[in-house]
Amino acid sequence: MIRIAQLSCGTEYSGVQKEIEKAAETFGAQMVMPDVNLDDIDEAYEKFGLSCASSSLKLMIARAMSLVEGKNEADAVFICTCFRCAEAAIARNEVRRLIQNYTDLPVVTYSFTEKTKASELFIRMEALTTVVSRKSILAREKQEGLTLGIDSGSTTTKVALMENDEIIGTGWVKTGDIIGCANDGIEQALDGTGYKLDDIEAIGTTGYGRITIGKAMGAKLIQEEISVNSKGAVYLANAQKGEATVLDIGGMDNKVITVNNGIPDNFTMGGICAGASGRFLDMTSNRLGVDITELGPLAQQGNYRNAILNSYCIVFGIQDLVTTLAGGASKADAASAACHSVAEQVYEQQLQEIDVREPLIQVGGTSLIAGLVDAVHDILGGIDVIVPEYSQYIGSIGAAMLVSGLKDTDIDDSKRFK
Amino acid sequence: MSKKNEDIDSEFCHIPMGDGTYRDSDQKDKITRMVILGPGCSISSKELFNFLHLLELPINIRLTCYGANLNGEPDYVMEAVNRVRELDPTHIFIKFRGFPPGDPRRCRAKRGGAREGFHQIEAEYKLLPEVSYALEHPKHVELTQPKKIPVDEFTEIVKEIESKK
Amino acid sequence: MKVAIFPPNSMILADMIVRSGHEPLVVQNQMKQKVTSPDLDAPPFNMTEDDPISGLKYAAIEVPSGVRGRMSLFGPIIEEAEAAIIMNEAPYGFGCVGCARSSELTVFSLRRKDIPVLELDYPTSRDDTVEMVYKINTFLDNLDNDGEDESND
Repeated sequence: MIRIAQLSCGTEYSGVQKEIEKAAETFGAQMVMPDVNLDDIDEAYEKFGLSCASSSLKLMIARAMSLVEGKNEADAVFICTCFRCAEAAIARNEVRRLIQNYTDLPVVTYSFTEKTKASELFIRMEALTTVVSRKSILAREKQEGLTLGIDSGSTTTKVALMENDEIIGTGWVKTGDIIGCANDGIEQALDGTGYKLDDIEAIGTTGYGRITIGKAMGAKLIQEEISVNSKGAVYLANAQKGEATVLDIGGMDNKVITVNNGIPDNFTMGGICAGASGRFLDMTSNRLGVDITELGPLAQQGNYRNAILNSYCIVFGIQDLVTTLAGGASKADAASAACHSVAEQVYEQQLQEIDVREPLIQVGGTSLIAGLVDAVHDILGGIDVIVPEYSQYIGSIGAAMLVSGLKDTDIDDSKRFK
Repeated sequence: MSKKNEDIDSEFCHIPMGDGTYRDSDQKDKITRMVILGPGCSISSKELFNFLHLLELPINIRLTCYGANLNGEPDYVMEAVNRVRELDPTHIFIKFRGFPPGDPRRCRAKRGGAREGFHQIEAEYKLLPEVSYALEHPKHVELTQPKKIPVDEFTEIVKEIESKK
Repeated sequence: MKVAIFPPNSMILADMIVRSGHEPLVVQNQMKQKVTSPDLDAPPFNMTEDDPISGLKYAAIEVPSGVRGRMSLFGPIIEEAEAAIIMNEAPYGFGCVGCARSSELTVFSLRRKDIPVLELDYPTSRDDTVEMVYKINTFLDNLDNDGEDESND
């Protein structure tokens, strides 16, 4: 049983404690409250030096200190406080840093509302338990042998073939039939390499279709995309040590993941309003009559201030675009405004919830749209944004890299899922 | 007493304990009070326990490290509380408690950390000698805050002290 | 008289009110209603999403859920209060609500009511503590007198 220490304020009074425990249980983990006595509380938080007015936050700090000092034991840490509480947000981040600086424990942070349900916490708890139970797998920093990674995304299926730490083949197919697309992608990746599917030593899958494909192909690694993408990003960007933030603006949802030494410790996933997705840029390029690959360079020539686009909704967003163009804005200005609008909304809806750490590694298909990368850079106040080579194949590369550590082991995820 | 027990049985409810178990309980109409024996109390917790039993009231009594927990119907619990207070009025204190005694939802064994209320008893206990002293020597005091002295008067005093230097 | 106390779970304050013949309004009573309710399955406090929502009566939606959840418990106490004793700057162990913003809102709501309020600072010495008990007892005894005065009028 994996023991997850809970460092929190307000979970019980917000009515979400049960949801947290339910989410942990789903992944074979148990929430525990580190035991501290009264005298330790004042001593610990004075030693820590953050003067919180709320006593539950003092208790949270004391519990964190007891983990750091080894007075209590746990396998992982879940830090959570009420959404919109400034005092708690400061304490949450500082406690996270404390745990990361002085222990090896994986940490995930979260800010909840009374609407938070166990299902929203599932991917966090899964990632947290993965980090505990698969620590040795995630610690891998290079690829070995001949392995294949498949990322079955909502819009496209990406495949990467790797041999001895090099990418030797890639595949890129619009997602339709899950298995069929995977096969087409594999064919593209193998093409010209001289290898056949049988030559491959191990396969790893990620993305929405990971379980279906993984079972069909006998994949040794079937893993959610938070762990895989973050690992792939720091691998490609050569940022395996220290802190970084991974941003993936996808076709259907957006992921922002913070990593510490290559291990994810917090992330947000959004996908309620399509105005902030790659799909909006796809529709914009259609309306402008340019290929999606031309949208980025076009945007770089324009000025977003000359065209007003800032709708959360993809339908209203396109209406704004039509109005803007009718009002005389150039295609370049409109392209720039579309990129700016997506970046702004990713910032408003997601990046503000997370403690963004430099460098920011932007990945996924949308990272190839240069205008969007520029917009992210601007909106985050000139932060360093890295777009590594092969960034659009991120999940497949992460999967190919990670599974190379399993090729000579008995671990076989295709047998894990029924 | 037996009649009362029958009444309790007919008011069974089914309360989830959060660990997959349930408790059949009649707690809905019951209350819990904690008897705290302050420092310098003339009776020991063992004597308290015996005294409570000899009252023969239909209540649950649990001996604890600071006194006892009483759980039952309000009339009986309050009767016990009032009788206990008479034993040493200035050293025996009563605390309200929301959770029934031994409830797994608030139990140290189940959740790891001590329940919040435990820390409070620990801390408030330290103030009890002074509270007991004040109760033994009751008096009324002025509640209105003293007024701030006028600035002129303040200046006068400063000048006076300065001139004496 | 029904006397609200702050911190709402202090043993000493509640005990002194009982001794003086008044009724302390303590949060444990609200909690008891929740935890002995057989219809709910949300341990440990049996608070659910509905509680922070009902807390909207006391604090707006932009206020964190933990504050609103707490206010759903303290709100009824504030409404019922006929007098109040507020202990300012009490340390964690004296009883607390865990959240500074919830404390501020609760104390503010009590002060805003047109009821007798005794505000005390947490004692810093033995003499202070004794003085604090005297103040509380004087205040509570005065409540009786005030009540009589009104009935005589």
